[in-house]
Amino acid sequence: MRNPLRLVLGAAATALLVATPHAQTATAVQSRTRIHVETLASDKFEGRLTGSPGEKLAADYIIGELKRMGAKPLPGMTDFRMPFTFTAGSKDGGTTLTLTRTGASPQIFSGAATVQALSFSDSAETSGSIVFAGYGLVVPETQNFGYDSYAGLDVKDKIVIVLRYFPEDADQNTRAILARYADLRYKAQAARQRGAKGMLVITGPRSPNAGAVVPMSFDTAIAGSGLVAASLSGDAFAPIMAASGKSLEAVQKEFDSGNPHVAGFAIPGITVALKATVIRQQQTGNNVVAYLPATEVRLKPDATLDKPWVAVGAHYDHLGRGTTGGSLAGTDEANQIHHGADDNASGSATVLAIGEAFSTQPRKRNLLLAFWSGEELGLLGSNAFVSKPPFALDTLAAYLNFDMVGRVADNKLTVQATGTSAMWPKLLEQANIVAGFDLVLQEDPYQPTDVGSFNTASVACLTFFTGAHQEYHKPGDTADKINYEDLVRVGELASGVVRRLMDSAEAPQFTKVEQKTDTGGRAGLRLFTGTIPDYASEVKGLLLGGVIGGGPAELAGLAKGDVIVEIAGQSITNIYDYTYALELLKIGQPAKVVYMRGGERKETTLTPAARK
Amino acid sequence: MLKFSRKVFRSALSVSSVAVVLLAVSSISVATQSASEERQYLSRIRRLTVEGKRAGEGYWSPDGKRLVFQSERDPANPFYQIFVLDFATGDTKRVSPGIGKTTCAFFRPGSDEIMFGSTHLDPKSKQYQDDELAFRASGKQRRYAWDYDAEMDIFAYSEKTGGMKRLTTAKGYDAEGGYSPDGQWIVFSSMRDAYNRTLSAEEQKQLVLDASYFAEVYIMKADGSEQKRLTDWNGYDGGTFFTKDGRIVWRHFDENGLIANVWTMKPDGSDRKQITDFGAMSWAPYEHPSGEYFVFASNKLGFENFEVFMVDKAGAKEPVRITYSDGFDGLPVPSPDGTQMAFTSSRAGGTGAPGQIYLAQWNHEAAMAALKAAPPRKPAGK
Repeated sequence: MRNPLRLVLGAAATALLVATPHAQTATAVQSRTRIHVETLASDKFEGRLTGSPGEKLAADYIIGELKRMGAKPLPGMTDFRMPFTFTAGSKDGGTTLTLTRTGASPQIFSGAATVQALSFSDSAETSGSIVFAGYGLVVPETQNFGYDSYAGLDVKDKIVIVLRYFPEDADQNTRAILARYADLRYKAQAARQRGAKGMLVITGPRSPNAGAVVPMSFDTAIAGSGLVAASLSGDAFAPIMAASGKSLEAVQKEFDSGNPHVAGFAIPGITVALKATVIRQQQTGNNVVAYLPATEVRLKPDATLDKPWVAVGAHYDHLGRGTTGGSLAGTDEANQIHHGADDNASGSATVLAIGEAFSTQPRKRNLLLAFWSGEELGLLGSNAFVSKPPFALDTLAAYLNFDMVGRVADNKLTVQATGTSAMWPKLLEQANIVAGFDLVLQEDPYQPTDVGSFNTASVACLTFFTGAHQEYHKPGDTADKINYEDLVRVGELASGVVRRLMDSAEAPQFTKVEQKTDTGGRAGLRLFTGTIPDYASEVKGLLLGGVIGGGPAELAGLAKGDVIVEIAGQSITNIYDYTYALELLKIGQPAKVVYMRGGERKETTLTPAARK
Repeated sequence: MLKFSRKVFRSALSVSSVAVVLLAVSSISVATQSASEERQYLSRIRRLTVEGKRAGEGYWSPDGKRLVFQSERDPANPFYQIFVLDFATGDTKRVSPGIGKTTCAFFRPGSDEIMFGSTHLDPKSKQYQDDELAFRASGKQRRYAWDYDAEMDIFAYSEKTGGMKRLTTAKGYDAEGGYSPDGQWIVFSSMRDAYNRTLSAEEQKQLVLDASYFAEVYIMKADGSEQKRLTDWNGYDGGTFFTKDGRIVWRHFDENGLIANVWTMKPDGSDRKQITDFGAMSWAPYEHPSGEYFVFASNKLGFENFEVFMVDKAGAKEPVRITYSDGFDGLPVPSPDGTQMAFTSSRAGGTGAPGQIYLAQWNHEAAMAALKAAPPRKPAGK
C-alpha cells in the first residue's frame, strides 16, 4: 500500500475450490504461497521499485508462474507485460528570473537556492508586470464562506506573486477550510484560470521555512500545469517587495488574519521575465496481466453473459531502497532494501494462488489475473490500465484487490469498498461461513490502493487487508513475519467469492459511494506528527498502529495501541476527524492530546514539527 | 424504564447507538485487555452473518451442520425473516414466507420441520412493512424495540414440501418456542392471557404499556394439540427451551420488567427452581449439551452492556462471566457436540451497531473448572 497506510492482499486460495480441501492440498498451497512470498521479497529483487531491475526480475518470476498454470496473455496481446510510462522525478534544468525596474539595469537571479521551478511548471519563458495576490487562495462558493485572493485584481497576462501555505493567524475553522485549497498545484490552477501567465511563490517571514525556496517535490503527474511557476528565496524577492514600498512582514501579517477582504495589489514600476526549465525523468513500469479464458459458454446459448470478465489483482512493486519517497525507515536503516513481503508479495502470492486454483476448475467467466506496478508511486499501473483498458470495463463484473494480506492477527480480516455493490455482503457472508474469518467490513472504496482505480472506473470492487504494522514501509517487512496459514485462508475466502461471481448469471451492480469530503486536506498538510494511524481499525478514535521513531508523537510519549480521542480540543472519532484536526495545528505550537491506554484516559502534549 | 426493558428479550436484541457511542471511548483499551479473558472460553471468535442490517438467535440443527437464524436482509421487508445456513457450503436460504415479521426459529429433531413465529397471515403485514420503510427513509431515529405483535403465531415449515403448518391460533403473541429432545413437544411463550378474558382497568393500562407482562409459558404437542399453560405469574415468562433431562428452562421477569432470572421446572409446571438470583436482567438461558450448566445473557455490568454468563445446573454457585465486549453479547447457543458456541453480538461496532451472529470455539473444560471454582450463590443485593 501506499502512504497513508493501506494495503492489499493476495494469497493463495486454492483449497476452497476443491469442495473439501484435504490436508495435503492445503499444505501444498501453503508451501507454494510461501515460496512466492519468499522469492518476491528476497534481496535479489531489491524491493521491486517500479522501473528498476528488481521490478523486472519480479515480473519475470510472476510470468513464469502464470505460464506454468496455463494462463494466457490478454486477447490480442502477445506479452504478459503491459508497460506504462511515468515521471520518476523532476529536476530543475536551470531556471532564471530577470527583474527590470524602470530606469535600472536588469537583475538576474539563478541557482537552486534562489529561484527554482515548481515541479509541475511548464518549461517555458514568460514575462510581465507583477501582482501580489496574497496567499493565492480560491475557495469555491460554499454555503457560508467565500475566499478569493483574486477578487478585484486584474492578473490577466501578468505574473502573480503568492505566499506559500495559508493564513497563519486565521481562526481554526477558517484554517480548516483554506488548508484544503493551499496545495501549490491548486494555487497554480487558480492563477491560470484568472489569466496569469506565471506564478512566483514566496515563503513568508511569518511562516515555517521562512524565505526558503520550495523543494522540487516528487510529482508523478505527467501533465504540466499550463503555467510557468517557480519559487523565490526571500533575498531574490526583496527587490520586488522594495518596489512596492511595503514591508513583506507587514503585508503578510494582514493576509494572515484570514480576513477575505484584505486585498492584493499590483506592484508598479517593475517587470519580471521568468524562464523555467523542468526536466522530467520518464521511466517505464510494467503491469503483468494474464487471464484464464472461460471454459463454458453461457447458460442460455442465445444470451451473451452479463459481463464476461472477473478480475483479481495485487500490486507487486514496492519501495526499492526507500530513496524515492514513501519509506518510513529510521536513519539507522536508511537505504536498505525494503523487502515488501506483506506489501505486497502477500497480495501477489494470493492472486497467483487464486489463478492456480481456477486453472483446473470450470469457468463461466474469464478470470483476469493482474499484477500492478507503480502502486507505491500513486496507483500508476492500475490507473494506466483503467485509462486504456484492453477490453471495455463495462464487461468486467467485479475486481478484487489484495494489498497487505499476510499479517492476519486474531483471525481478523478487513474487507474494504463493500459499499461498491449491494451484492457484497451476501457473497462475503457465504464465502466466509466456510473460510471462517472474523470479518471487518468497511464500505469506503476511496482507499490508497489499486481498488481506488477500479472504483473510479465504476467497477464493483473489494480490497482485502490485514492491517498496518510496525514494519510497514520499512526494510523489516520480511517474509519470515508472514502468517502463511492464514494468508492461504485469505485466498480461500477470495476464491469463494470469485467462484460465486463466476457462477452467477448476474454481475454485481456498481454503487457509487460518496467520498467523504474531509479527506481533502492532505495537500495542505505541512506539519509532521509522526503518528501511524491504523487504518483498519473500527474503534472510536484514532488507533495508532505505530509512531515514527524520534517524531513528535513518540516524543509526546504516544505508542502503538494508544487511541487518540481528542487533539487540540477537537474530538476524534475516526481518521477523517484526525486529518481534519491536523489542519488546525500549528508547527511548533504544543497541542493537548487526549488518548486512551489500557482503559485509562490520559493526556499529553504533542508539538508538531514541519514537514519538509 | 419499561420501554428499555422490552428490547432485551429473547426475540428482540437491540443495541442503543447512543450507548455504544458513550461507552466506546472509555472502553477501547479495556476491550483489548479483556480479550484475553474472553479467550479462556471462546477462541477463534468470528463474525458469521454479514448480510443485512441485523441478525440474531442462531440455533443449531441437531447434527450441528446448519444454523437457523433470523435476519433483516430483504430491502423490501424491514423485519426479521428466517434463514438457514449450511456450514459446509456457505449457502444460505430463506425458509420463512418473506412477508411480515418472524422470530425464534428451531429445528425439530428427527424431522424436516423448522418452527418459528410469524405474522404473515395478518393482512396488514405488508402495510406495516411499508410504514416501517417509510419511517426509516424519513431519517428519524428511535430506539429499536420488539413489538410483540398480537398476530404472531407459531408455524412449522417443512423443508421437504415447503409447506407451512399453523400450530397456534390464539390472539396474542405466540413465539419463543423450543422442541423437546425427542421432537414430540413444544414449549413456548404466549401473551394470549391478555386477550382471552376481560381485563381489569389496571390490566388494560398494563397492556398498553407493555404486553409482555402477560406472557406465560405454555406447552403443546408438536402438531399444535394439547396446548396447556404452565405458569401464572405477573411479569414476562419466555425464552423457553427443554433441557436434556426433560425439564424446561426459561427466564422469568419480575412485575416491573427490570429484573429477570433463569428458572427451571418440570414439563407439567411443577417443581420450579430458581437457578440465578443475579439482581439484573438475566435471560436467554440455554443448556450446554453436557447438561452441566446453562449459558445466558445478563446486564449485570451495566444496563446496556449485556454479557454472556454461565451458571451451574443447580444454580448453587455465582454465575461466571464469559464475554468481555461492550454493547450487546447474548443469546448464546452451544453446538450439539458442545465444542462451539453461536451468539449474537454488537461487537463489530460501527454506526448503530446492530447485532450479528458470531461463532467461537468453546472450551468446555475451562468452563467446568471455572464453575467449580466459582463462589457459592449470594442472594441478590447482598
